[in-house]
Amino acid sequence: MGTENENNPNFRKTLVITLTSIIGAVLVYFSVMCILAPVRKLQEINEKYTFQPDAKNKIDERIYSDSAYLKLLKEKSFLQSRIAMAESDSIYVTVNIPDSTIDLEICGVVVHSTKIQKMSISNIIKSGNEYIISSMLSKPFSIDNSFSTIPKEPLMIKMAPKDTSEYIPDVVPDTAYHEPVNYVLEMSNGTRIFVYQAEFPHPGDKMHLFKFDMKYRLQDAFNALKRILVFKVPDYHPFIKIRIPMADAKIIYRALPVHGQISVYR
Amino acid sequence: MENDNIIYDPEQPVTEPEQTGKTEVEEAVLSEEKKSFWKRLQDNKKLFGILHRLFFILIGILIPFIIFLFAIYTVPALQEIPTGGKTRLVNSEELKQSASYKKQIILMKKDIDRLNIKYNNYTTGQSYVVINTTDNFFYLYKNKKLIRSGHCSTGSYMMLKTEEGRSWVFKTPKGKRSIQGKTTHPYWHRSDWSYIEEGSPVPPKDDPSRYEYGVLGDYSMSIGDGYMIHGTIYKRFLGMPVTHGCVRLNDEDLDAVFHTLNIGSKVYIF
Repeated sequence: MGTENENNPNFRKTLVITLTSIIGAVLVYFSVMCILAPVRKLQEINEKYTFQPDAKNKIDERIYSDSAYLKLLKEKSFLQSRIAMAESDSIYVTVNIPDSTIDLEICGVVVHSTKIQKMSISNIIKSGNEYIISSMLSKPFSIDNSFSTIPKEPLMIKMAPKDTSEYIPDVVPDTAYHEPVNYVLEMSNGTRIFVYQAEFPHPGDKMHLFKFDMKYRLQDAFNALKRILVFKVPDYHPFIKIRIPMADAKIIYRALPVHGQISVYR
Repeated sequence: MENDNIIYDPEQPVTEPEQTGKTEVEEAVLSEEKKSFWKRLQDNKKLFGILHRLFFILIGILIPFIIFLFAIYTVPALQEIPTGGKTRLVNSEELKQSASYKKQIILMKKDIDRLNIKYNNYTTGQSYVVINTTDNFFYLYKNKKLIRSGHCSTGSYMMLKTEEGRSWVFKTPKGKRSIQGKTTHPYWHRSDWSYIEEGSPVPPKDDPSRYEYGVLGDYSMSIGDGYMIHGTIYKRFLGMPVTHGCVRLNDEDLDAVFHTLNIGSKVYIF
């Protein structure tokens, strides 16, 4: 019977149509759920950082759309965030989007600065509600996790010689050794900062970046799929993707503590 | 057969130019060839079967690949379609004239001034040195201006382990430190690890063999926890991560740093 069915052109036609319809429906469902993710994230941010009307001090709400007021608010938010980090007595990073710069600071002193060569920002951060995003950025982001192509501390293990005959004097470190520098900093508020090397001095660098990016995209797609299969909207992570010179990217990654802080001015 | 008639019937009136007639003939031949090709292909059941299967295999590979690309590239791109939450900026003159607006702007400016003063106070007006451990470079600042920079050597990130389970990591500590002491003609009091690293027996704590003179240059500055900024006899290693955690400078740079920084001056290491 099975063979008869398989050879029947109508059966084949029905099978193809059914399969195509199922795949199509799954894709549409997957896309719709994924598109809903940023909408839901935006709602979460809006609920968390929206302005609270003060019953005693009534403010004309139109002020939250006034360009002059919002400009000052952005400046104030950035300063608040930087001061909070400077007080933490740690190494931290500030990302200045309008100036396209990244500064590494220690207790309020800029110790290293670099120019961003290319940048792409999540739509939520780029064009979300000005007041709400400024409120969100008034507190520094804390790093929860990081994924990188380079180790945080390039530790080399050496076993102590048993006696002087086994002793080999330290050789000069191989400064010509090349390693591509790409990393992702996952923040506690769900935001992700992708830092990629801007230049590709070695032929394999582009491939490394492609693999790194692909691995991360796959991980995201897989996580989204897991949530969608249980009929939940997947998580959305606002992002800032930046390309800076390789040497600077390495300096920043190595200097930042494991749970370091980052402040963003936009 | 009709075509044959058109071509070979001499009584057929010639309404078209001769050239067009030839094209029609060619087309007819081609179409016949095509038909015969398909016919031949369909007749060759083996070849047709192979091609048929090949087509489905190709489709079977292409569809998952397209779905994969769609999931990892198209969907994230779709997520970035503007949702319309952008603030519509207004510049209402009526609003700007209101007392409540003016009050809010003044309050905001006051806050910014206060925060700016607070933030600027973090930047020390004293002399300080910045040490970049990734590039092994130092920057000396006086009155907030860079006055000298050059190569240095910092921790090697070597972890020395013994069979007994003792271990040391030779790295320069990062963050804010300060000059806690300044010494001229310093000597090096060798630690246990310096003997263990060579495979030599470790002498007692106050053994005279632990003291070595002339290896730290003319000056040293303590930055706490046993770490120092000092000179070196291994000048060829400057610019490389080779130390046991201290910061090594060449003689001229050490002289400048020693005479610029005071006790309490800040040392920023990253």
